[in-house]
Amino acid sequence: MTARHVRTLLLFAGLAVAADALIIVHGKLAPNYPLLAYVTGWIVLGLCLYLTAFNARKKIPFLPFVGARHWLNVHIYGGLLAAVICILHVRARWPSGGLQLWLCWLFIAVTWSGIFGWWLSRAMPGRLSTLGGEVIYERVPLVLRRLRDRAEAISVATVEPAGAATLAEFYTHELSPHFAAPADFWAHVTGSRRPLKVKLQRLTDRRRYLTTIELKAADELADLLRQKDQLDAQRAGQLLLKAWLFVHIPLTYAMLIFTAVHVVVVYAFSGGAR
Amino acid sequence: MSEAITATDRPKRWSVPFSTEMDDAAVSRVLGHVPFNAMQPENFSRASPLRELVRNDMRLRQYRAGEIIVREGDYGTSAFFVMSGKAEVVLSPDLPTRVLGRRDAPSRGLWRSFAQLWSNAREDEVLRDRDAQGADSAEPRIILQDVPQILDRHRTATLTTGDFFGEIAALSRMPRTATIFARTDGTELLEIRWQGLRDIMRGDPALRAHINRIYRERALSTFLREIPFLRHLGPEAHAEVAAATQFETYGDYDWSGDYKKLAQSGEDIVTREPVVAAEGDYPNGVVLVRAGFARVTQRFGAGHRTLNYLGAGQIYGLDEIAHQWRKPGQPVSLQTTLRVIGYTHLLIIPTAVIHRVVLPSLPTRELPPLLPEIESGPAAETRVEAPVSRLSADRMDFLTENRFFNGTKSMVIDMERCTRCDDCVRACAATHDNNPRFLRSGPIQGNIMVANACMHCADPVCMIGCPTGAIHRDSFEGEVVINPVTCIGCGVCANQCPYNSIRIVETRDASGEILVASDAKPILKATKCDLCLDQLGGPACVRACPHDALARVNLNTLDEFVDWLHR
Repeated sequence: MTARHVRTLLLFAGLAVAADALIIVHGKLAPNYPLLAYVTGWIVLGLCLYLTAFNARKKIPFLPFVGARHWLNVHIYGGLLAAVICILHVRARWPSGGLQLWLCWLFIAVTWSGIFGWWLSRAMPGRLSTLGGEVIYERVPLVLRRLRDRAEAISVATVEPAGAATLAEFYTHELSPHFAAPADFWAHVTGSRRPLKVKLQRLTDRRRYLTTIELKAADELADLLRQKDQLDAQRAGQLLLKAWLFVHIPLTYAMLIFTAVHVVVVYAFSGGAR
Repeated sequence: MSEAITATDRPKRWSVPFSTEMDDAAVSRVLGHVPFNAMQPENFSRASPLRELVRNDMRLRQYRAGEIIVREGDYGTSAFFVMSGKAEVVLSPDLPTRVLGRRDAPSRGLWRSFAQLWSNAREDEVLRDRDAQGADSAEPRIILQDVPQILDRHRTATLTTGDFFGEIAALSRMPRTATIFARTDGTELLEIRWQGLRDIMRGDPALRAHINRIYRERALSTFLREIPFLRHLGPEAHAEVAAATQFETYGDYDWSGDYKKLAQSGEDIVTREPVVAAEGDYPNGVVLVRAGFARVTQRFGAGHRTLNYLGAGQIYGLDEIAHQWRKPGQPVSLQTTLRVIGYTHLLIIPTAVIHRVVLPSLPTRELPPLLPEIESGPAAETRVEAPVSRLSADRMDFLTENRFFNGTKSMVIDMERCTRCDDCVRACAATHDNNPRFLRSGPIQGNIMVANACMHCADPVCMIGCPTGAIHRDSFEGEVVINPVTCIGCGVCANQCPYNSIRIVETRDASGEILVASDAKPILKATKCDLCLDQLGGPACVRACPHDALARVNLNTLDEFVDWLHR
């Protein structure tokens, strides 16, 4: 067990203790303090604003704030704590009003998208690292074009010396669409090797009709297919790592807008309860 | 993006001279002085004639009595020649830091840091006025307060008219080895930029021989004082060791070209490195690395595996020699092979001197331990320092084959933690006027990537050949930085860098227009990581990484790297 694992365990233990303490204190105070929901509500809102500030911190890296890794830790464990307090705030009941229901769904979506992103950011880098063929995401089109150009050149170059167009036609009909664009996103996200196996099998099936010259080129095409598959897998993994934030962040802002309306409505229609 | 073009003068080597005060009279006065009056102008190239070297790469400076000229530990890129007066070298003990007037490295204030939010350029690579660092920029002058007391309490040596000093830092890209101050009022020194000194030495063999000789002598005496196992020696024994020590230099001063060719050839690099001492041979002496690097290898199967690499101050062979001395009946051979990498200075103290003078002076507790079970085969792996043994042989080979040991602030990325979010790149751009100064790509071994970011090398070969000295070491911490004003965009540094860490870019003016010279070609500049020297809080890339995947570590010693790997 590494030092990091120990730290994670300690943080989880701390979070569990804090959550337990909050639940106990809340249970004791709730019957006597009807306005406790206001307190828990403002605490959740404060926490959410602080958690949202993580994105702002990324935009101003030149200020001597504490490192982003500490911010992320606070973001993760603070977010989980906010979820616990939110449950206390709604008294573990499903809200009844339309606005509250939307707000509740948004909070759940933000929390779970965050947990998913957290899991993804821990699981996916290791898989990408094992895959090999590391490439910067923005360079994927460039690498793809190079692969396509090589594949085309290899298949076309066989026609004249081999006196046959079997491989070239196979490339045109079967492989060129695959080399034309990124492919098999979901297969790569789930770690499936099936698309590559299918394509390699089709190429293998065609080998019996190829001349000696074409066979050599077919081996090179098979190698390019593997490289293309590796590139697609890198792209899919990196895209997923970027894309989840496009869910988490807009949902967060939507939730904050709904929260603002919720606060106004609560204070406008509290009927002197506060 | 703007496409407009602005014609301007292309910067040249001496567009920014070392000093604007070197008029004809001053140049003539220097050229009339020994040893410059004996130099043959025809021996100098047309591109760098002697007179222009003096005019542009030298400056005359006057010092008051007690004024510090150079400080021990500072990085300097110039040497000095005493024109008149006297200067005093503090040999030992070192002067306390409080009298040396050290100050913190200058950095942006909080407000200027925050202002980057809106003041960064919209176009890339805009050359700003604030980038200017004139050669004559004001330098603080520090006067020692009680010179007689310093002379009384410290061992010193006097430099007089005609003496050179500062050549070690200027030529070896290492820190100043001693503090030197002016002894008399009006001491006049000729300060020579390192690229000027290099050209003068090329044109004048006598001066080259003289500088090389004093460099070897001073480097030897300075270095031997710092070796831990020699500290128990008395003055006489010390002198005996110094007299017997051989000073050897391996490799080319400009080693990066050879290395690049070798790496591209695909040959087994390790077998092409010069062997200083071979596994199985009799140990002829203790080898001390003065500068540069050496690789410790051991036979493994049909090849050689890297056990360790040694940097400045590290030693090789003492264990075997000490074992022989303690167990005279059990002769042992060297357990590993020592190969030099790049441009390396070694000192070799012969075995006989170690046996007769050094080992008897050591207290028993400081003697190296006996080698375990020599007969059962090389046991070097178990003797390698603990932090190194925590690295796999593959990783050691990776670091050595790629010469990464040279980096003092290498950017290492844990690819099993890195989410490829590029927050590090964006942070770098945000702190450098919207221009990222590194690429998040580079050689990978296992889960570790060494990114193409300036490593601020112990031996920055990028500085070799820079015609203007634009790429230089910062005097405070020794970071390698580029002065955009004096950079002429020739690309020599980028070609020299073995790590692909320097980029040559087209520049723009404040309005975003591309700067073009009168020959219609764009004005280029070299750019690279400056380690956020002027930013609050240190390197933005490290602070911006949310996943603790990126670090700047010293690969010279490995301890920091190993700690980070096992964090």
